[in-house]
Amino acid sequence: MKGNVIKYARDNIDTDVIIPGQYLKVHDYSELALHAMEGLDPDFHSKVKEGDFILSGRNFGCGSSREHAPIALSHSGIKAVLALSFARIFYRNAVDGAFLLPIEIEEDAYSNISEGDEIDIDIHTNEIKNITKNKTYKMKPFSEIIGKIIEAGGLFKYKPD
Amino acid sequence: MGKTLFEKIWDAHIVVEKENSPSLIYIDRHLVHEVTSPQAFDGLRMNNRPVRRPDLTIATMDHNVPTNNRSLPILDQTSAVQIQTLEKNCNDFGIQLFDINSPNQGIVHVIGPQLGITLPGSTIVCGDSHTSTHGAFGALAFGIGTSEVEHVLASQTLWLEKPKPFEINVMGKRKNTHAVTAKDIILSIIKNIGTSGGNGTVIEYRGEGICDLSMEQRMTICNMSIEAGARAGIIAPDEKTFDYLRGRKYTPKNYESLVDYWRDDLKTDSDAKFEKNYTLHINHIAPQVSWGTNPGMTCDVTESIPFPEDFSKGDQNQKKGAEKALEYMALKPGTPITEIKIDRVFIGSCTNARLDDLIEASKVVKGRKLSQHVRAMVVPGSQMVKKQAEELGLDKIFTDANFEWRESGCSMCLGMNPDILSPGERCASTSNRNFEGRQGTGGRTHLVSPVMAAAAAIEGHFVDVREMDLN
Ligand code: SF4
Repeated sequence: MKGNVIKYARDNIDTDVIIPGQYLKVHDYSELALHAMEGLDPDFHSKVKEGDFILSGRNFGCGSSREHAPIALSHSGIKAVLALSFARIFYRNAVDGAFLLPIEIEEDAYSNISEGDEIDIDIHTNEIKNITKNKTYKMKPFSEIIGKIIEAGGLFKYKPD
Repeated sequence: MGKTLFEKIWDAHIVVEKENSPSLIYIDRHLVHEVTSPQAFDGLRMNNRPVRRPDLTIATMDHNVPTNNRSLPILDQTSAVQIQTLEKNCNDFGIQLFDINSPNQGIVHVIGPQLGITLPGSTIVCGDSHTSTHGAFGALAFGIGTSEVEHVLASQTLWLEKPKPFEINVMGKRKNTHAVTAKDIILSIIKNIGTSGGNGTVIEYRGEGICDLSMEQRMTICNMSIEAGARAGIIAPDEKTFDYLRGRKYTPKNYESLVDYWRDDLKTDSDAKFEKNYTLHINHIAPQVSWGTNPGMTCDVTESIPFPEDFSKGDQNQKKGAEKALEYMALKPGTPITEIKIDRVFIGSCTNARLDDLIEASKVVKGRKLSQHVRAMVVPGSQMVKKQAEELGLDKIFTDANFEWRESGCSMCLGMNPDILSPGERCASTSNRNFEGRQGTGGRTHLVSPVMAAAAAIEGHFVDVREMDLN
């Protein structure tokens, strides 16, 4: 999975900046996408391209249980969020609805990957290649069950063996 | 080896368990509100599935209901649609709904305990992160996302990875129990362990400082567990818990025999092991005021706005976070908290809009007037709280002081209805999140207790309520 990185070098990106409360009434996902990250980065909508990734620090997605948060990002074109850690409900929302991949990374990837870098994520080898910088980093593998839900394409397609 | 309280409840609800996999957990109570449920019901319809246990599912509308005159139609069309959709869904699927005109309407985490729906030892979920509130009754209660809401509606179960038990001991006694509140205890905890300090855990709050609290105060503590990143917060039930729930609308018929069982069983064994521990001594804690854009960015009312390098203790991300927060909040390091002027006051939310909260705040307000440049609003947590408060004459105390007295709902806690801050406005708020834009685009939120909010409303800036006469 290849794409370019949009980097927010900070911790605690919360669900209220990912999609502010006033838009929780909106059911049209493409309209929701227009307001993604609006609270933090008003230019997000104009710069994001289909297939991009977000890179950020610790506790990404903390706050509300709103599924609108991963939906708004995914409908903006974001395929994965790479972060040092995630808040649990955001993580599960992202995986359960198959909206985007939440990928836990280590400090080296976090500090080394820059805004605009092209990277290639392989969730089978758990490697992230930085094509721009010609470097490779490890990602934390998904737990067994999360891996299975992802493979199934979401919680409702997942059937335990 | 013994088990913690949370592990006992977990084990009692396992439907399927396998090593190194999540477990399928049975859910005793499912609370539903208008914002995170529409897609879940759509999903059921698409797959032709009924709600498995409508009798264990309870719905209300709280997040975007207007808090002004309830007899008028809802002006905001999208809100109106969301509210009608919940009505239709509850009708179609046979779910009990406390709608906008019901005397039982209110914030979902306020009405659950009030109606006796929240019970010790049970598992409770809701598509809302502050479901952790119900843990105050010794329930395992946590917020879930919309796909999970659909899963619970369809199966009354959930696949969950087992969190780890985290013990927080609250030691000592507060010197001034009117001025230093449960809100100050939980804000102190989050300030110390950080907004991700509880990630992956269920926090059990224990110790003298917790036993001393009323049920409503315990709810304030458990409510904000999620702001420390925890899955849930829990407090072992005791006589206060059992007394609180006795005789409520939905308290089960065999209540006394349940109490006998709960009394014996619902506690952490003395030889149980926690994965993590933290101890807070409360003898000397001060009222807390948040200064930044997450609840961990909090200090004593007697302190000044910290310098980012002092706050971050060498962590670059923390430093950057603090700098950005101060820029957003338009605050300068070194400014005493008591010099911060405020424009708005919000007394409300599932953290602090119960009867106790309103009584305590009214003591500050009684016989005084709102500062000239402040607009203040009291939004009771439920219609029942509102009614009880009015019976005590609290509405009069607030309105005499020029506060607005509103109908119940989430209101300015999350800025989904017309109750919002204008860009740049600064608010002393009894809610739980001070995220950028939470109370309206560009709005600046300071989290405080109800007495601190009331005092700020009167004085026009933050004051140390320990210096006021609150008896
Ligand atoms: S009062 Fe605020 S935190 Fe509580 S349920 Fe409503 S929106 Fe969520």
